[in-house]
Amino acid sequence: MNVQTFYDKIGGNYSETMGRLMTEERILRFVRKFPADDSFNLLKDALSRASQEEAFRAAHTLKGVAQNLGFTALYEKASAVTEVLRGGSLNVAALMPDLESVYRLTVESIAALD
Amino acid sequence: MNERKQKILIVDDSEMNREILADILGEEFEIMEARDGIEAVNALRRYSVEISLVLLDIVMPKMDGLKVLTIMNSYKWIQNIPVIMISAESASSYIGKAYELGATDYIQRPFDATVVHHRVQNAIMLFSKQKNLIGLVEEQIYEKQKEQSLLISILSHIVEFHNGESGLHVSHVHTLTEILLQNLMKITDRYPLTPQEISLIATASSLHDIGKIAVDVNILKKHGNLTPQELAILKKHTVYGEQMLENIPFHRNEPLLRVAREICRYHHERYDGSGYPDGLKGDEIPISAQVVALADAYDELTSDTPYSEGVPHYQAINMILNGKCGSFSPVLLKVLQFSADRIRDGLLVSSLSGDSRKEVERITRETISRSGNRVSRRTLDLLDLEREKFKFIASDSREILFEVYRDPAMISFLEDGNEKLGVGVTVTDPLTDGKMIACFGEETLKKIFGLIDSATSENPKFNLDCTVTIQGKPCRSRIEILTQYSISSASDKYEFQSAIGKIYTLDEAAVA
Repeated sequence: MNVQTFYDKIGGNYSETMGRLMTEERILRFVRKFPADDSFNLLKDALSRASQEEAFRAAHTLKGVAQNLGFTALYEKASAVTEVLRGGSLNVAALMPDLESVYRLTVESIAALD
Repeated sequence: MNERKQKILIVDDSEMNREILADILGEEFEIMEARDGIEAVNALRRYSVEISLVLLDIVMPKMDGLKVLTIMNSYKWIQNIPVIMISAESASSYIGKAYELGATDYIQRPFDATVVHHRVQNAIMLFSKQKNLIGLVEEQIYEKQKEQSLLISILSHIVEFHNGESGLHVSHVHTLTEILLQNLMKITDRYPLTPQEISLIATASSLHDIGKIAVDVNILKKHGNLTPQELAILKKHTVYGEQMLENIPFHRNEPLLRVAREICRYHHERYDGSGYPDGLKGDEIPISAQVVALADAYDELTSDTPYSEGVPHYQAINMILNGKCGSFSPVLLKVLQFSADRIRDGLLVSSLSGDSRKEVERITRETISRSGNRVSRRTLDLLDLEREKFKFIASDSREILFEVYRDPAMISFLEDGNEKLGVGVTVTDPLTDGKMIACFGEETLKKIFGLIDSATSENPKFNLDCTVTIQGKPCRSRIEILTQYSISSASDKYEFQSAIGKIYTLDEAAVA
């Protein structure tokens, strides 16, 4: 799978990302690093411990990273979770399955990149 | 050009975000990274102005970006190191707060390589331009003051030549006036004078005897007692001086001329009303004239004349204190006593020819900064050197060394001390920090901060014996602390700066 197909598959925006980061080589390098980013697991872990503050920071970081890489769909899901947590609530159970499935799709698709 | 790359500190809790920024900026800049606010503060403390710019995230664990900005304000780093906030927070309250705290600019996620590049370069350029401008203004003020001093010293030499005086009198009075006024500000706020006004009065003091050129040389140079008529003419030099300056057709309202006129007329008045020409009393006499009168009296006593030798320094001070030269304000006499050593040293190096660059720097700082709190780059560089020395000396020491800051409260240990105590290099909110409490105990911590707060620039040192857990073992220890103060350029009063301290065990067995 090439980079453009990858972005289409995960609901990302390739041309916008290319416009910002300038080279495909740079984009690829960071996309490949994405699975190593721990924010998603931190978020789940913090939620299981009902730690609102940590959960907020993890969701916030995930959102930022997704935004920087142009992973639009993931960014939107992470944003929704972040906003609930920012308000001090831990009530994100309804949003998590969506976020998780986009996250999994993204990580799996990265593994399938050329 | 083979210059070293400028350093940029990237502070973000997400490694990915740091890497993207490092990748965008890495070719032109040397990148340093910090994962949270504490690491950022440590890096700033260690590298200070070596860092050309900070890219700062807002939401971070341990210490967030706004707190980092607050600390950068407390240590005045913010005035020398530009900060660009990074944030996806379009929430304007954060950004507004960051600007209030001195941030230069912000960039939003998602990062755009071109925007990041330009914002960073612009911020660095603006700051270095500002620094160059400060340098230029300093240079100009210095040049201007040098020329002014030169002209005034030529003029006053002419007067002295006419009067048959040594040629040093005017320069001495200038130095004395400056020293007395500076010390006057330290002991009372009764006469609120800015450093510029002090400098102005000192300059104007050079003209105090200018009226003597209108007095007959035969009276000025007469050996022996003057007749009452001759004395009356001599006393007129005060009024003549004022009139001469009054008659200058231009610049009549210049502060320098205004002050010079009052000094000419009133520098022979005495505090109890026994002086001339008007017999003014107490603070009816302008403070400028009161100080010049005291300086004049001292120098007259200590200077050699063709017919007699001057009185030694301390004897002259005592004579004035005992009222041998007429009455002066009690506050000024206190200042004279307090300034005795500085006067003796100060007159050895004549101030007009001496290097007044320091003074110029101080005035420049005052002039340029709105807050009066700006620290010059040079001062910061010196501070860095001191830190290096401190580290060097401490590196081979058995003692655990640390620095304490206030507002916000912070303690920092050197690596070595951190190893022995295990509390971290920088501890924010040490009074509530779990590791600090485990190591020192709550009560000892409270005592330390209580003692720091009650210490003063007169009594800056104290010891405290207590138990400290060093390398896991409780040890009887002594903590010695020296609090340090600096004169705030805003108020010219001593303000707490930081404290340095050392911890050593009292129990020899534990050391071995």
